[in-house]
Amino acid sequence: MVRKWVSWLVIGLVVLIFSACGSSSTTKEANTTTKASEKLNYPTKPIVIVAPSGAGGGWDLTARAITKVLSETNLVKQTMTVENKPGGGGAVFMAEYATQDTKNDYKLFVNSPPIIINNLKAEGNSPFGYKDTTPLAQLTKDYGAIVVKADSKFQSLAQLLAEIKRDPKSVTVAGGSAPGSMDHLVAILPIYKSGIDPKMVKYVSYDGGGEAIAALLGGNADVIATDASSVGEYVKAGKVKVLAVSAPERLGGDLQDVPTMREINIDAEFTIWRGVFGPKEMSADAKKFWEETFQKLVENDQWKQELEKQGWQSDYKNAEEFTKFLQEQETLISDMLKSLGMHK
Amino acid sequence: MAFLLEGFQTALQLHNLFFAFLGVVIGTAVGVLPGIGPMSGVALLIPVTASMTSGLNPAQAATSSIILLAGVYYGAMYGGSTTSILLNTPGESSSVVTALDGYQMAKQGRAGSALAIAAIGSFAAGIVSLIALVLLAEPLSNVALKFGPAEYFSLMILGLAAVSGLAGNSMTKAWMMTVFGLLLSTIGLDSVSGVARFTYNISFLYGGLEFLTVAVGLFALGEVFKAILHNEQNNDGIAKIGRIIPSREELKESTGPIARGSLLGFLVGILPGAGATLASFFSYMLEKKISKHPEKFGKGAIAGVAAPESANNAASGGAMIPLLTLGIPGSGTTAILMGALMMYNVQPGPLLFDEHPDVAWGLIASMFIGNIMLLILNMPLVKIFAKIIETPTKYLLPLIIAISIFGVYAVQVTTFDIFLLLGFGVLGYLLAANDFPLAPLVLGLVLGPMIENNMRRALTTSNGDFFVFIEKPISFVLLIAAILWIVVPFIMKLKGKSVIVNEDM
Repeated sequence: MVRKWVSWLVIGLVVLIFSACGSSSTTKEANTTTKASEKLNYPTKPIVIVAPSGAGGGWDLTARAITKVLSETNLVKQTMTVENKPGGGGAVFMAEYATQDTKNDYKLFVNSPPIIINNLKAEGNSPFGYKDTTPLAQLTKDYGAIVVKADSKFQSLAQLLAEIKRDPKSVTVAGGSAPGSMDHLVAILPIYKSGIDPKMVKYVSYDGGGEAIAALLGGNADVIATDASSVGEYVKAGKVKVLAVSAPERLGGDLQDVPTMREINIDAEFTIWRGVFGPKEMSADAKKFWEETFQKLVENDQWKQELEKQGWQSDYKNAEEFTKFLQEQETLISDMLKSLGMHK
Repeated sequence: MAFLLEGFQTALQLHNLFFAFLGVVIGTAVGVLPGIGPMSGVALLIPVTASMTSGLNPAQAATSSIILLAGVYYGAMYGGSTTSILLNTPGESSSVVTALDGYQMAKQGRAGSALAIAAIGSFAAGIVSLIALVLLAEPLSNVALKFGPAEYFSLMILGLAAVSGLAGNSMTKAWMMTVFGLLLSTIGLDSVSGVARFTYNISFLYGGLEFLTVAVGLFALGEVFKAILHNEQNNDGIAKIGRIIPSREELKESTGPIARGSLLGFLVGILPGAGATLASFFSYMLEKKISKHPEKFGKGAIAGVAAPESANNAASGGAMIPLLTLGIPGSGTTAILMGALMMYNVQPGPLLFDEHPDVAWGLIASMFIGNIMLLILNMPLVKIFAKIIETPTKYLLPLIIAISIFGVYAVQVTTFDIFLLLGFGVLGYLLAANDFPLAPLVLGLVLGPMIENNMRRALTTSNGDFFVFIEKPISFVLLIAAILWIVVPFIMKLKGKSVIVNEDM
């Protein structure tokens, strides 16, 4: 009797576990090769796209959007799954990937500027960077935004910078991530470019953009730096004012009245790009397959809808352009970290 | 009110009832299984719900899928207590404290009562927090915003001061364990300055020690090692299950803790970043403090199950407030719910109730229905789950080990965490064998980063001026409470009253 119970329990548990885990991968059955790659010897196995963070963040949402559209539109006929590998802002995953998966054509991952930042910064350094991967494509972009409360005494970036210049201790700048990471760089960039010593700035880091916005609304921070795509609702509700965006030209929608940093004579620009990477020694066939596939993906209507839903802007760069862009980014970020004394 | 009625109309549509039911069933399963916590459960189901609701129009699809996902969320809060009580293996961080008294109750053959009271407490708390959500969402979200770094710091200090609530026989040992927990919490990348501490360039350590790995290792594996080494199978394995329904006396004993747990849990839940785990710890410590029989805690006091289980459920209701009114997720799970809403082009934020009243109110109404479903669903399950305790130890122990390892691997996906788990299992055994309480260590691990980060945030803002903590009224009150919590027992002892201050009881 008891024994029977235990066996049922175990079976029940196993079934539950598998149904819960397997649910995300029950898309299409593993088919043969896709039409486009008839000449290519790839892909012949299921493919994994890794989001090197926990579930729910920007990397995770990007990875899920890519797999969803690629399998629903049959651009990739093999089963595709998303894996989360959290830890160290992506550094934990990179350490494993760059050493053990250098030839694994079936494991790709999503990343953004932190792949360069982590590799260059002194503390919490990741010994591996984009050069230990094969950049495949940049898919989307977002920009940084400098945000204050709607009733703030700073109604322009110039006012804010003047006050920081006058007394750096009087202004609390906050962001959703640690010093030396993206939000910090976005906040520091205009300050640095307008000739103020960035080390003087009072920067408080919160756990994630949500907490940073809460601090701003609750009056615990005077100004925050965050992603431009995440503040639209607060602007519409009249709770916050965006002083500037780090884009080359004005953004649309709720932020159309917000000047770029360039417009107010600050020579600063910062793009929060997101792209897909493969292993360093990726086979030529696999690389060709993904170049063609991402090209088709960005032209697909379903992908365009998905981008609109998420509030992301499309910005496609193919493997070659993306690699070149990454080199430029590395120089830019390297300069900024040096000016902050945070370069390794 | 009219909106709420409309919400009920939405939620009572047949397909939405079905989605709510599906959500709570999956949620219960997710809660029972260690490893798949509410966060990964909700995340895994997002793509599934997307394809399930693809036949509906976008607004309806958004409502239905968020109903399902929220069902998973609070369903998991119900289910989370089960393995804590039966196997001393917390399914997720918010039910770690439940293991303290719940497992003792199970050992005494009162597993049925413990499980039932957990379900009843969760239900009561769920309803209380929903009513509060309907009536007070707007004003409360503004209060929550006022909670800045200084206030958080003082709240956490109060939590630390209350650690006596988790002490066993010796306060000294409890404090030692707390400090050990605080020390462990400093491992990893410091999130304020970005400096790596105690990581020795091992990238696995950049993120710090995972709370659940440590808790499962200490509690579950520690207990397993003890059972193996002390050959307990004869008396332990065949503990009789007593009655399933709690006695009238037990119900009466639990009313107060449930009410206080609900209230406290709800308030802590509203604060972004504090969450269900802290709520459960705080309510447990509060109950022990005000109980007439504090010596019963840790030995199977039903209040020690009722309070934290109510609190963690109420906290999940409270966490919906900043999410729905401001678009600020207070916990990992609500962050994922927010992501799910955004997938349907529903932007959570200050305008949610104006722009998508059907989604917001439909969700709230469905939570009422879901809580009732969960109570009906869970009461018969109690009978079934309680039988697990009858399993002979020779099957049960391997099962616990398997569940623990599987659970930890499912969350962390690294073998490093499995070794960590085993290490903490051994440590847990050694500490428990020498009468060191484990709960303070776990509490220290949770509170450490919050105390430190908020203190440094507050000091950065005030340019290093420590007076910031007493200049802010809420912070000041909390600090005073913390001091009283420690000092009052000493004064009472001086006056000749018998209270637990140090050593012996």
